[in-house]
Amino acid sequence: MTQGQQTESTPLVDPACYAAATAAIRAEAVRLLEAGEVTAVVGYRAGRRAGSAMPEVATTAEAAAQLIFTPGCQNNLALFLSKAKREALPKGKVAVVVKGCDLRALAGLIGESQLKRDEVHVIGVACPGVYGAGADLAKPLAAESLARKCRECKVHLPEGTDVVAGTLPPLPDLAPLEAEELARLEAMTPQERWAFWTEQFARCIRCLACRQVCPFCFCTQCLCDRNRPQAVDTSPRPAGNTAWHIVRAMHLAGRCAGCAECERVCPMDIPLNLLNRKMAQELFELYGFETTMQPQEQGALTSYRDGDDQSFIK
Amino acid sequence: MTATATTTKHDFEPKLVAFVCTWCTYAGADLAGTSRMQYPSNVRVVKFPCTGRIDPVFILRAFQKGADGVLVSGCHPGDCHYMAGNFHARRRFAAFRQLLDFVGVDLKRLQFSWVSAAEGGKWVEVVTELTERVREMGPMREFIDLDASEHWSAELADAELKAAYHSL
Amino acid sequence: MSRIGVFVCHCGENISRTVDVEKVAEAARGLLGVAHACDYKYMCSDPGQALLKKAVAEHRLDGVVVAACSPRMHEKTFRKATEQAGLNPFLCEMANIREHCSWVHEDRDEATAKAIDIVHMLVERVKRNRKLQPISVPVTKTSLVIGGGIAGIQAALDIADAGHRVVLVEREPSIGGHMAQLSETFPTLDCSQCIMTPKMVDVANHPNITLHTYSEVEEVDGYIGNFQVKIRKKARSVDMARCTGCGVCMAKCPQKKIPNSFDRDLGMRPAIYVPFPQAVPNVPVIDRVNCTWFKSGKCGVCQKVCGPGAVDYAQQDEFVVEQVGAIVVATGFNLYDISEKPKGSPIKGYGEFGHGKIPDVIDGMTFERLASASGPTGGKILRPSDGREPKQVVFVQCVGSRAREKGISYCSKICCMYTAKHTMLYKHKVHDGQAYVFFMDARTPGKGYDEFWRRSIEQEEAVYIRGMVSRLYQKGDKIVVMGSDIAVGIQVEIEADLVVLATAVQPRQGAELLAQKLGISYDQYNFYSEAHAKLRPVECATAGIYLAGACQGPKDIPDTVSQASAAAAKVMTLFAKDQLEREPIVAKVNERFCVGCFACKKVCAYGAIEEKEIRDRQGNLVKVVAYVNPGVCGGCGTCQATCPSKSVELDGYTDEQILAMIETL
Repeated sequence: MTQGQQTESTPLVDPACYAAATAAIRAEAVRLLEAGEVTAVVGYRAGRRAGSAMPEVATTAEAAAQLIFTPGCQNNLALFLSKAKREALPKGKVAVVVKGCDLRALAGLIGESQLKRDEVHVIGVACPGVYGAGADLAKPLAAESLARKCRECKVHLPEGTDVVAGTLPPLPDLAPLEAEELARLEAMTPQERWAFWTEQFARCIRCLACRQVCPFCFCTQCLCDRNRPQAVDTSPRPAGNTAWHIVRAMHLAGRCAGCAECERVCPMDIPLNLLNRKMAQELFELYGFETTMQPQEQGALTSYRDGDDQSFIK
Repeated sequence: MTATATTTKHDFEPKLVAFVCTWCTYAGADLAGTSRMQYPSNVRVVKFPCTGRIDPVFILRAFQKGADGVLVSGCHPGDCHYMAGNFHARRRFAAFRQLLDFVGVDLKRLQFSWVSAAEGGKWVEVVTELTERVREMGPMREFIDLDASEHWSAELADAELKAAYHSL
Repeated sequence: MSRIGVFVCHCGENISRTVDVEKVAEAARGLLGVAHACDYKYMCSDPGQALLKKAVAEHRLDGVVVAACSPRMHEKTFRKATEQAGLNPFLCEMANIREHCSWVHEDRDEATAKAIDIVHMLVERVKRNRKLQPISVPVTKTSLVIGGGIAGIQAALDIADAGHRVVLVEREPSIGGHMAQLSETFPTLDCSQCIMTPKMVDVANHPNITLHTYSEVEEVDGYIGNFQVKIRKKARSVDMARCTGCGVCMAKCPQKKIPNSFDRDLGMRPAIYVPFPQAVPNVPVIDRVNCTWFKSGKCGVCQKVCGPGAVDYAQQDEFVVEQVGAIVVATGFNLYDISEKPKGSPIKGYGEFGHGKIPDVIDGMTFERLASASGPTGGKILRPSDGREPKQVVFVQCVGSRAREKGISYCSKICCMYTAKHTMLYKHKVHDGQAYVFFMDARTPGKGYDEFWRRSIEQEEAVYIRGMVSRLYQKGDKIVVMGSDIAVGIQVEIEADLVVLATAVQPRQGAELLAQKLGISYDQYNFYSEAHAKLRPVECATAGIYLAGACQGPKDIPDTVSQASAAAAKVMTLFAKDQLEREPIVAKVNERFCVGCFACKKVCAYGAIEEKEIRDRQGNLVKVVAYVNPGVCGGCGTCQATCPSKSVELDGYTDEQILAMIETL
């Protein structure tokens, strides 16, 4: 992997591209608020730690002028537009800053009737990538500190947004670590995989941060919280944890936008996005289905074709 | 065992659950009965209106509650009493079995089939085959062990954790 | 604590031979919530049922499990007995220990153990059963019939004769459809007009039928028993109430050279016209595209000559809303226009046959008009190009049909018979003429059909050549037909005066658009789909909508009429009661938890799920949730398995019931 070694520790891209995106976001956000086109702009502002960023609901031009786009902008802001989190925003049309992966989530939410396209002004941002979990935010973004999902990102440049902030610099080819990990697991025997996941799920403390951060976990009552009937054990023990993660992956199949926020926020470092990746891969192989940056009318598991694969059915 | 014995006793008799639709497979199993066909008694049938009603959670739950094998069976494509329920089920289970496989459940324990109301023989064949296969495989330990095991006991594997723990 | 009663049946010896029924009853007594358990020789007998009823009263039971045969056998019996005992019938379940146990296992211990497990599962289930009430839906006893061909006419007359109101909508200015265009009909050769027109008049005069001609269905809303239908009545430019049908306007119209599509463009008509003399209603319509008044604002002759003052140039399209309880769809067919490749269609066209380019290559319907006594030639067979009588006519079958490579793989069913009829009609009119037929096989199932076909060969001397035509071309005033005779294995060339193509039967253009309005399904060719190919051939999967005639698939007249009467009978069955009662196994939405993602709506094959707005007292929209229309829900439960939060639940098969059964493992 000579190429990988070459690029691992050097800065990934010229930081100027983030600055350009920041300027464009600010200009658009200020314009929208001053013109009264939106009541709020959901974006990022600098966090207290150097290099970090946090979500910001800007309702004034002053606040809008503080918005940023940096490699620290990890959050998927589409989350704020799912019904469960909508009360954080003022009424009326809002603008939201989205990376390509976030845009897929936004499109998914529109496809699932959680919001209408005309209720939101979408500011897409050309995103070379963001920090992964545990990265040193003080240093410039390098291949080693890049989030795993960004290494294989196919949606650096959002499409179908109202504006696109920034331009995409040339990006190096990086080893697809997640795909490699997926392939490694797929090559195992079922017993080895069971051992792998048992160990992972045993660590789960059921803090449900993965659920909290997922734009698609917008149910008012989660199936996994129900106790009459109880389909999934609620206590944070291995049996219930395993069931929770299986049910979660199944519920996200064909919907997950691949933002990998679940994996990033997991305090126990469980590689949750592997499950989502696996489902996405299967649905693509079986049905040619992919989540896209445009809303789709039918989901992978809410539609069918007469000729769907049934080789597994006797 | 002597050759004269009519039924063979085995060391391990698996528990099987069959989730079936009422219009095709349940009726097919009825036909196996009225035709006095014989098959192993390991299977317990749960009746649904349609395979479209069968939630993957039920399969998971069945394994957790001690099933050694699960059968899901419904109408052949195009025969669905409700037009499209089995088509939706087909996709759902195609995806779900991949997920189970990925977390390490041996798919040999999970069988899907189309058994029509006229296929008493096929019902017998499917149930017999799954019973024998699962009997061969032995008990489904995975979920039972999981149920018995406690939460991660925080073995202080690395130095960082050890330091953190001792500083409490 | 539940008080469940378990009743174990011996079924004579059918169960007790392999299952120790006393042991099953004993085990049942030990289950939590079981208040009573017993066994009996024949539970389904009168004494058996009496035993059940007595036990319900004596032990104050609140649920019943009958461990006996399959529920498909006796569920109704025992639910009825349970109801008679004063319980809700849905609190009774059957544990199938016969078909699923005693009959399929020999080992007594194993069978008994399994029977106990089955009973246990059903006990846990019945504890969680809810009292369900049959669902009633009011029925508006008016039927809409879409299409005024023979199918629509027959269905409308049958329903109207049964005393129900019918709204008949026809797109053309007159009812009659394709049958009105036919010359004579196989296999009896009676004149189509003679048997058709009396029925058309009956429709017009029937007190129970409201006829909307020159009208189209614009919107359909609602569900079985309660549809609202918006009908567009296109501007006829003639006041139906004033017009007496005297025909002076048509006679005086200076514009007389418009090809009449009813005559397949062989005859001409004026701009104000009725499509054919026997039209019903006998009220003309102005063809605004070709009328001089509408083109230039000059003329106005028809208005001047109209005594009753019925001509009204200012007339606008009108909309009528009708409330109906059932819909019969009878939109019929089109003949495949092979001359060109239709845009955006997988169908490829037959450029090599010269249809549309060579004037004497015509299709079967055009031949019908030539042979019709009221047609443009007065019933004489004359070539369109020069009006000469053709002495050699080649008929080509299966043009479009059964040609997978051309995009249609089905058989059009009627062509073999009508081509045989054409050869006969031709021979009757041109005694010295010769008919040739290129065919793949002759398909003549039907009463008197094969005899009819043989007659065309044996008596009328049609020459049948087994093989297909590869090419047609004009040579002087002849058309050279090149084909193969595969029976003899030679190439054939015939110099014909006229070529008649039996083109495929297709659904009406735009059939899919109507299907979308109605919410019914259609196949790859746009033929409407029946609910079940064998057992529900006239019903759509969408409740309350029925199919009649060629819109469902190619059909001849007898089949069309049979299906139309069958559809009418289905409508009458629906209208026999004021309330439509159905089993309460339907989905319900928990509006509190529904987040309105509408995954349920996407998977619902019945279109039973609607979007419902929840508003606060000030009228502000709080949220939009799913609503299941119980009249339409089929009860499959696919919605529930799809709903991520399980906010929609199928009564009778709730998660609680099913998980409790799984819990017994």
